[in-house]
Amino acid sequence: MIYIKILNFALIVTFIFSFNVNALEYKLYGLVQPEFSIFTNGDGKHHQSKNNYSLFTKGNFISYLDERDAKITISAIARYDEKDSERRYIDFQKLKYEQYFENYTFKIGNEIIFWGVNESFNIIDIINQSNLAEDMTGTKKLGQPLLSLAYDNNYGTIDLYLMPYFIERKFPSKNGRPRLALEVDQNSITYESSSKEQKLDFALRYSMVYDDYDIGIAHFHGNNRAPQLNINPSTLKFNPHYTTLSQTSLDIQATKGAWLYKLEALSAKDGNERHLGVAGGFEYTFYGIRDSQSDLGLVIEYSFDDRNSYPFNNDSVAALRWTKNDINSTSLLAGMFIDMRGNSNRFIAEYEQRINNNVKLFIDATFNGSIDSQDFTYAFEEDSVFSIKLARYF
Amino acid sequence: MNKFLLILFFVMFVNTNLLSEDNFEKGLRIAKESYESTRGYVDSESDQLMILVDPKGNEVIREISGKTLENDDPNDGDKSIIFFNKPKDVEGTVMLSHTHVNDDDDQWLYLPALGRVKRISSSNKSGSFMGSEIAFEDFSGNDYRKYEWEFIGEEEYEGEICYKLVSIPKYKNSGYTKRIGFTDKLLRPRMIEYFDRKGELLKTLYFEDYQLYNDKIWNADTFRVVNHQNKNKTIYKWINRELNVGINKKDFEKSSLLRLAD
Repeated sequence: MIYIKILNFALIVTFIFSFNVNALEYKLYGLVQPEFSIFTNGDGKHHQSKNNYSLFTKGNFISYLDERDAKITISAIARYDEKDSERRYIDFQKLKYEQYFENYTFKIGNEIIFWGVNESFNIIDIINQSNLAEDMTGTKKLGQPLLSLAYDNNYGTIDLYLMPYFIERKFPSKNGRPRLALEVDQNSITYESSSKEQKLDFALRYSMVYDDYDIGIAHFHGNNRAPQLNINPSTLKFNPHYTTLSQTSLDIQATKGAWLYKLEALSAKDGNERHLGVAGGFEYTFYGIRDSQSDLGLVIEYSFDDRNSYPFNNDSVAALRWTKNDINSTSLLAGMFIDMRGNSNRFIAEYEQRINNNVKLFIDATFNGSIDSQDFTYAFEEDSVFSIKLARYF
Repeated sequence: MNKFLLILFFVMFVNTNLLSEDNFEKGLRIAKESYESTRGYVDSESDQLMILVDPKGNEVIREISGKTLENDDPNDGDKSIIFFNKPKDVEGTVMLSHTHVNDDDDQWLYLPALGRVKRISSSNKSGSFMGSEIAFEDFSGNDYRKYEWEFIGEEEYEGEICYKLVSIPKYKNSGYTKRIGFTDKLLRPRMIEYFDRKGELLKTLYFEDYQLYNDKIWNADTFRVVNHQNKNKTIYKWINRELNVGINKKDFEKSSLLRLAD
């Protein structure tokens, strides 16, 4: 993983200096964000700590070459965490060179590719590895080294991706909070594929816009991003095992006025077993509530999967999003996740507002209600938390 | 001689036709001519600066840059891309709009933090643009097809005799019930008063800093908006505006958003 990063970096540095650096048209921006968390159930199930400091930073460098027919993007994130060593990392989310032709785009390097339409259950999103140390829901990703070729015409876009190197899933360490019931042993990783992390993964996606519909059809073949976690009886740790996955997916969003209808579906062969997943829902926005500038959006989504082991096999989320549309872009998202098979539920709230042109405040809260002891989230039942983040942009 | 009579007849006929034009037809004609005088720009590129002023005089700055493309189809709306630069927390965000005359627009938003392009609902053309006193629908407020028009007389405005026009939105989700405005004899809108859904005076938009672009198109490089209800002000300035720059039409498609985003 490290050598791929170095290789990437060398490639780009070489490229930059092969041009007249003074003539570069570039853009540099980012943020520094101190964070503080307070857990409300004391020290927690695994004797972690009841509060935590962390510092997150992100930098973006974008430069155009060749009269804007080529672009270099470097987007790096880094975190320092007081307690969790797995949350001390640097990741090149993007470290790529792109060349544009009339109907083709060629790309090489680290990239973040998002597939899907849902707000919560992004079941078809597969290119990038999730960073669970950053966020247990899996929405935070790690940069994926790839080569890609895109072709577009009036009928849509075809993207082809070749991924020569696999990025392992990141999990919180023993001191991380929340964390899984057992530690994940990153030194005991196994693969179904004999090529292991060197396996050449590939993906193909066709996407198009037809009237009010945004449609995507995709196929992925490669190492599954989500490992099986098998308990090693001698170490009492989880040993990750990455199977080989072939996944075919469909995503559709219909945009009908204030209504958005969303659907993601997949059929996949994971190891020797085939499974089916469907997730979708709707979003409706009431604009200008009570004669104000405020909007109130309602999001309801449901996720089904025919595997018993899958965490979101019969789950739903209902959330309200209030946006004040004021000078400070104040907004509040409040929602409830319900596991409809067990009896688990969880409440989340996310508040944000701009303090000035360069500073923004975020307050997040997660409250675990009743959690079924069979649910994988039982491990963080006692991890209800308040977090305050203050982002300073530059 | 016969030819002369024919011409005379024709002139009389045309004149009679003009004389018989009622105030609705006249309002529509002026609005249409005003709109058409701004057409033929092909495409445009500009930086835009917005100053939001609250009743206490506190100022907040917004900076964006944008591109627009005139639609080949005269019955459809133009296309635009907006790049957000300030406030800094939205830097890198890009919005693509395919506007439609009396229907919801198609809008996509590129969110850099998620690396994701989202199709968003656009039935809220009356909503505030970046916390300002300008709504999305105000940017295309000169499109005569969006309103029923009535000419209600000529009045002096800032020392010039102007047409006074009443316009009533046709779009069902418009935030307004009525607009009353002055258009000068060069067919340039100079001022518009907006009445909210309750019929009360909401705000006044002043069109300022008119510049003649490419020797044929007048554009107001400043929109100054005064909200009479919340007492906020917005000053919206176009800087470095260029018309007919030859932007690739493909830039205005969803598939180009990731390429253009920086």
